[in-house]
Amino acid sequence: MKTKKTHVLLCALGILIQFISCVKDVDFDQVEDIALTPVYEVDFVYSKFDTNEFIDPDLDPAISIPEVIISDTLNYDLLGTDFVVDNLERVELTFEFKNTIQRDFEFDFGFLDENNQRIGPLYSMIAESGNGEGTDPVITTEVIVLDTNAINILSNAAKLVSSIQVQNVNSSLDGILELRSKGTYFINYEL
Amino acid sequence: MRVFVFLLIGLWGCFVYSQNKETLYDFVDLPQSLMLNPGAEVNFDYHAGVPFLSHFHLNAGLRGGSLYDIFADDGRDINDKIETTLNKLTSNDYLTTTQQLEFVNLGWKSKKNNKIYFSGGIYQELDVIGYFPKDFAVLAYQGNQEFLNRPFRFSNISGSSELLTVYHFGYNKKVNKKLIFGARAKLYSSIFHVRSARNRGTFTTIETPQGDNIYQHIISNADVTVRTSGYTSLKELEGKEVVNKLVGRALLGGNLGLGIDLGFTHKVNEQLSITGSANDLGLILYSKDVETYKAQGNYVFEGFETPIQFSGEDSQNFLDELEEAIPLDTLSKAYITMRPLKLNGSIKYSFNRYDDGTCDCYIEGEQPPYMDAFGVQLFTQFRPKRPQYAASLFYYKRLFNFLRTKLTYTIDDYSYYNVGFLLSTHIKKINFYISANNLLEYPNLAKARGISLQFGFNVIM
Repeated sequence: MKTKKTHVLLCALGILIQFISCVKDVDFDQVEDIALTPVYEVDFVYSKFDTNEFIDPDLDPAISIPEVIISDTLNYDLLGTDFVVDNLERVELTFEFKNTIQRDFEFDFGFLDENNQRIGPLYSMIAESGNGEGTDPVITTEVIVLDTNAINILSNAAKLVSSIQVQNVNSSLDGILELRSKGTYFINYEL
Repeated sequence: MRVFVFLLIGLWGCFVYSQNKETLYDFVDLPQSLMLNPGAEVNFDYHAGVPFLSHFHLNAGLRGGSLYDIFADDGRDINDKIETTLNKLTSNDYLTTTQQLEFVNLGWKSKKNNKIYFSGGIYQELDVIGYFPKDFAVLAYQGNQEFLNRPFRFSNISGSSELLTVYHFGYNKKVNKKLIFGARAKLYSSIFHVRSARNRGTFTTIETPQGDNIYQHIISNADVTVRTSGYTSLKELEGKEVVNKLVGRALLGGNLGLGIDLGFTHKVNEQLSITGSANDLGLILYSKDVETYKAQGNYVFEGFETPIQFSGEDSQNFLDELEEAIPLDTLSKAYITMRPLKLNGSIKYSFNRYDDGTCDCYIEGEQPPYMDAFGVQLFTQFRPKRPQYAASLFYYKRLFNFLRTKLTYTIDDYSYYNVGFLLSTHIKKINFYISANNLLEYPNLAKARGISLQFGFNVIM
C-alpha cells in the first residue's frame, strides 16, 4: 500500500504543478519603455544643368546677363501621414552640389500648402563656383535640420518650390552643375 | 500599429507548438486516441464525449525566442533586449497556435461484427502559423540606414490562419490478431481562411555614386499574394450579424473540403506493437466569399527631378507612379489549399501484466491489462515553409484501474527538454483526462517556448 500512496502523492503533485505554474522574473511594465527608433534614408530632389540651359550658346560672349533664375513647383507630400508627423523626431536634408561652372549658384527651396500659401521659411544655400569644364568638380555639401517645431509647421506641406539662380552669365561659360539630395528621417515611436 | 507591435511582442515566445499530441497518441484507454490514429486499439464497447467538454486542445508556441528574452526583469533596457532578440530570430522562426474543441464525439461497436468500431463527431479547429517576417521587422525597428545595398525580401512574409469545423466518421476494424486498420472520412467547413506564402521579390536601397541621385530605392520582381476567404462579407456586418454568419458557416455553410485519416496498429507479438497514422490528408476548395490580393511589378525611385527648366509638364506624382508600376489587384478566383498533413508513428513494448489471480481491476471477460509500457513516437506536420518534426520517448503506467498515466520526453523544433504528462481517471464509466507538456517550464512560463494542453470528459463503457 505504501507504494500506492507514493503514486497518489506524485500524481497530486503533477496536477498541482499545472495549477501553480506562473510567470516569474519578468516585468511587463517595460512595455511602456518600448520605442521604435528606425532611421530611414530616402532620396529627395536631384537636378543637372548644363550652361546652355542658362544661356543661348550662340549669343555673343560679350553680352552678360545679370541674373538667370530657373524655378519649379511640384506636388510633394513631405511628411506623408499624421503618423509620420506625430512620431518624427528630426529630418536631416543633405544636399550635395558638384560644380564645374565658374560661377556661384544660389539654390532655394520652400513649401506651399494646398492653397499655394507659403509655409515655413525659404531655405537657401550657395553652391560654390567650379573651375571650368574638364576640371574636377567643386563639391559643396549642406545639411538642413528640421526639428519638431519645423516639422509641425511643415505638416501641411503639399508642394515644393525650388529655384536655382546664377548671376553675370555669358555664352563663354562651360561646365555642369549637379544637385543630389536625400532626407534622413529619424522616427521615435513610443508604444 | 500599436496593436500589431503588441501582438508581435506578446506572442513571441508566449507559447509554442505544433499539433503534436504526444501524450494522447496511442493512449488507447481514451477514445480521443482514435482521432490521432483511426486504427488505434479499441478496448471498449461504447463511448460518448460530454458535449462541448470531451476534448479541448490548445497548443501554442514560438520557435526562436521566449517572453523572458524580452521582458526579463534584469535591469537591461527593453529596447536593447528587443534588438538582441531581433538579431537572433530568423525568418524560419515562427509562431503557431492550434486550438480544438469537440462538440460531439460518439463511438460504438458494430452489432453485426464485434471486430468493427464506428466513431464520429464534430469539432472546431483554429490553426495559425506566422513566420517571423525578419527583414520587415528590421526595416520597421531599425530602418534602412544601416542596411544600404541589402535586400529586404518579400519571401519573409509567410503565414496562414484558418478557423473551421470538421464533421467526421471513422471505421476501425480488427482485421486479425495482428492487425487493426482504421480510416476516418472528414468533411471540412471553413469559416475563415487567410494565407500568404511563396512571395517573391526584394526592396533595396542602393548607393549610386555615379547616378542621378544619392540612392536608388528599388522594388524588384515583387510578387506578393494574400488569399482570403470568409473575410470580405464580414467587413460590412456588425455584431450579431457576424455571429449568425459564422455559425451558418460552421454548419456546413462555409467553403467545403474533404479529407481522410488513415492508420493502423500492427501487433508484432503479444507485447510489441507498431502504429502509424496520417491525419488530414485532404483539401478545401475556397469558392465562396473569396478575395485574393496580388501585387506584382518593379519600381525604381530616385527622388524628384527639380528644379528643371521648361517644366511645363505635369509634375511627377510618386504614389501614382508606384501604383501604376506595382498595381494591387483584387481577384475573386476560387483556390484550393491542402490541409496541413500530420504523420504519426510509434513502437510500443508492454509488460507487467496484472495477473496475480486476485485482481478485480479489469473488466471481467477481458484480457488482463499490461500495467506498464514504453516506446518511441515520431511526429511530422507539413507547414508552408518546411515540415515540423518531433520525436518522443514515452512511459505508460497504469497505477490503478481508475488512474492511468503517460509520461513523455520530446525533442522538437522548440526545445530539447520537453516533458509531458497525461493523467486519465476512470471512475465507473466516467472518464476525465488532462494532459500538458513542457512541464519543466511550468515553474516559469515566461521562459517557455511552447505549451500544449488537453483535457476532456467522456463516458466509456
